[in-house]
Amino acid sequence: MERRQFLTMLGAGAAVAGTGALTLPARAENKKYTIALVPGLTTDAFYITMHRGAQAAADALGQDLLFQGASEWNVTLQVPVLEAVIARKPDAILIAPTDKVQLVEPLKKAFDAGIAVFCVDTFIGNGVFQTGAGDADFPLSYIASDNILGGRIAARALAKSIGDKGKVYVSNVKPGVSTTDQREEGFKAEIKENHPNIEVLETQFNDDDANKAAAQVQAVFGRTPDLAGIFGANLFSATGSANGVKQAGQAGKIKIAAFDAPESVVQELKDGTFEIAIAQHPAEIGYFGTVAAFAHLTGNSVPTAIGTGFTVMTKDNIDDPNVKRFLYTG
Amino acid sequence: MTATATSARQESHGLLSMIVELRAWIFLLLLVIFFEVWARSAYGQSFVINAYNLQAIGIFATAPLLLGLGQTFVIISAGIDLSVGFTMGLAAVVSAHAANMASGVLGLDLFTAMLFGLVAGIGVALIPGLVNGLLIAKLRVPPFIGTLGMYGVARGAAYLLAGGMTVPVSNAWYAWIGNGRVLGVPILVIITVIVVLLMHYLLSQTRFGQHTYAFGASRAAAVRSGINVSSLTIKLYVLSAVCAGLAGALYSGRFAAGAAQAGEPLLLDSIAAVVIGGASLFGGSGNIAGTVAGALVIATIQYGLVFINVEPFWQFVAVGVVIIISVLVDQSQRRLLGGRKDE
Amino acid sequence: MSSAPVLLSVNNVSKHFGGVEALRGVSMDLAAGEVVALAGDNGAGKSTLIKAISGVHRVDGGEILLSGRRVDFATPSEARASGIETIYQDLALADNLPVGANIFLGREPKRKAFGFLPVLDRKKMADAAKETMARLDFHVERFRAPVSTFSGGQRQAVAIGRAIYWNAQILIMDEPTAALGVPEQRKVVSLIKTLKDQGKGVIFISHNLADIFAVADRIVVLRRGVKAGERTPAETNGDEIVRLMVGG
Repeated sequence: MERRQFLTMLGAGAAVAGTGALTLPARAENKKYTIALVPGLTTDAFYITMHRGAQAAADALGQDLLFQGASEWNVTLQVPVLEAVIARKPDAILIAPTDKVQLVEPLKKAFDAGIAVFCVDTFIGNGVFQTGAGDADFPLSYIASDNILGGRIAARALAKSIGDKGKVYVSNVKPGVSTTDQREEGFKAEIKENHPNIEVLETQFNDDDANKAAAQVQAVFGRTPDLAGIFGANLFSATGSANGVKQAGQAGKIKIAAFDAPESVVQELKDGTFEIAIAQHPAEIGYFGTVAAFAHLTGNSVPTAIGTGFTVMTKDNIDDPNVKRFLYTG
Repeated sequence: MTATATSARQESHGLLSMIVELRAWIFLLLLVIFFEVWARSAYGQSFVINAYNLQAIGIFATAPLLLGLGQTFVIISAGIDLSVGFTMGLAAVVSAHAANMASGVLGLDLFTAMLFGLVAGIGVALIPGLVNGLLIAKLRVPPFIGTLGMYGVARGAAYLLAGGMTVPVSNAWYAWIGNGRVLGVPILVIITVIVVLLMHYLLSQTRFGQHTYAFGASRAAAVRSGINVSSLTIKLYVLSAVCAGLAGALYSGRFAAGAAQAGEPLLLDSIAAVVIGGASLFGGSGNIAGTVAGALVIATIQYGLVFINVEPFWQFVAVGVVIIISVLVDQSQRRLLGGRKDE
Repeated sequence: MSSAPVLLSVNNVSKHFGGVEALRGVSMDLAAGEVVALAGDNGAGKSTLIKAISGVHRVDGGEILLSGRRVDFATPSEARASGIETIYQDLALADNLPVGANIFLGREPKRKAFGFLPVLDRKKMADAAKETMARLDFHVERFRAPVSTFSGGQRQAVAIGRAIYWNAQILIMDEPTAALGVPEQRKVVSLIKTLKDQGKGVIFISHNLADIFAVADRIVVLRRGVKAGERTPAETNGDEIVRLMVGG
């Protein structure tokens, strides 16, 4: 992946050198834009897949794509990367901001430099853009899955698999991450509104540690023998919870709904580790983000919000190519 | 000073040293009593006379304990190994790839492929261990800096090899190592117990262990006694990395996937286990039994608070408080016992 | 004294560090059962001399003879192997280990547990510690306690015990009484006498004239890298030694 990134950069460098040599004629005939994608972190299947989608769109449109990010989800790591990207003066930036508030000022700099800013996956401010309301509405569009809806979909699917009754809880990473918070919010809202016979127990936070998520399942099951299901709000929450269920000897009895779908979920769905997996469409986010940027740069208007979909994966549909293609892959 | 007064003082110091020595076990006992009382009154069931809970805590403690075992040696030598978390991640990724390759590409049977994976995971950990050791022993890089550098390198390597994904392993034998039981005891726990015994032997009964203590207390003493301190240092960091490698290889079996970030959250837990267990970060003290108790204390707090359904954030507070108390106990005993020069 | 065999001869030794001449043509002898005190002001060359003898420094001129044989130690371990032990002020003890473990540090004895498992022979270490400390007429009770719990004099005894257990013939002690209280100083002085009675040769550096006169057979005074004088306690007094040290 890193190597590919390096090659992309080489390619971009060559392209810049090329346009430098042929500036006028090339610009006159067919202006080539540089679109930068700054993910929340580079070492995650979700963003790698998003990159793939963005690259596909850039190739189709004949534009240059720059992919640069920090290796972990962290504001203090993302901001310097963003600043370096701004310094290269791309025409547009697609970014998954790691914080709603702290990324506003750094992105404002890009905006002031005349760079078109788009948010993908996560957002700044309240995620509603181009309202003229305040400082954080300058991004042109927010392209993402609706994580609240994703949580609701998980709730419906989990409710169905446990017979619409019993006790469940959310295994989550840590509070304060906009996307996972929204999944939990959507999950709880759906259960509360439409599944009165399901009781949602206290959320357990695992710090993205599968070992801890597993122990938490065991502890909760230890005092709640009628535990029926768990919603793992991200990959490690789900993987860890599944192991906890296995260690507790409850495999297949306590159902698990997993959020996100790296390739490993195929096996986990087939062997019954996960009852369901909710796949976002990160490639779609990358593709439409890039298309939106291109549309804007070429003088077209773009919608201020683009919602991308979900696919519910189960062991029965996972071999269907129309489902399988939503697995996150590099 | 009369003879009786002296011996009385020695006795009280003996008792105090014993309390200090066993403080992690005392913490553990107090915790267990606390959870027992709470569980009985709130849920009408026993916390500790409960094979299910014991198993769960045992499994929970294995990974931080494995890291903590190697870390114990390093900390006794007045060093620190910050790279264990990502060495574990690297080993998890490599063992997953290796097991897959052994069965998929080389066509070996699943059992051999599992062994292949385990060996590869532990083997790859030798590299960061050796580099840490060489940096610290030969180039005199401070352990904190050297292993912090390796933290980054191992992490990058792990993510590169995993391609940012988790690496799924489909191998029934490997899954059995990670999740199976023998006579009702989880295999992970059995393996960890064996490693604990081995490490206890190494630390308390061999020259290597003895020299580790001496080196941690006084580098000059070790050097003037003719101990080859470079070779000792290299061995220490290799040992720590091998423990992390084993933890990583077992992770891949347990979760049926290798992940680069497998050990990331465990680094601090491993150091906390060693410190709660009675080791001083200044070197020279600590033992394996203490680290075992320290790891069990952390696991018991985190498990117990979920079990009795306390607001999750109290876990952090509780672990932090135990660490601080442990260090305070250590320092007060230093003041009481260390200052006796006038006898 | 003259009847005892000469253990060590330093003949006309010189040592310079860059342009600084730390030692110029210094000679001295040490016989078995003899205690030589090295006196001198700071920078007089005392430390350089003992480091030359103990293998830390190599001399630039002159020679060092051990029992009449010329030696040229490249490292302190070579000197130690030839029976020359140096006890520095910091003692170089592993404070967290008991007496026996300190004596045996780096050369720990082993035994087989259950007939096959090699383990440290702690009993042997403790017994040797007990016996060695008895030889020094120094009785410690707690052979399992770490030496950090010992007094300064006891720790000095442990450091000396470590040296004599391994059959050191020559002991070089750097300010052995400097950091100690008066009763402890007396113990160390009697320790040195015990070593002398057992036929060891002792060189010790001290600033304390009372200690020097209490135990030394000869006093070698250095000043600015040369030997300013050599006296027996009987033929001199404190004033003269101080005069030799500071010159004039």
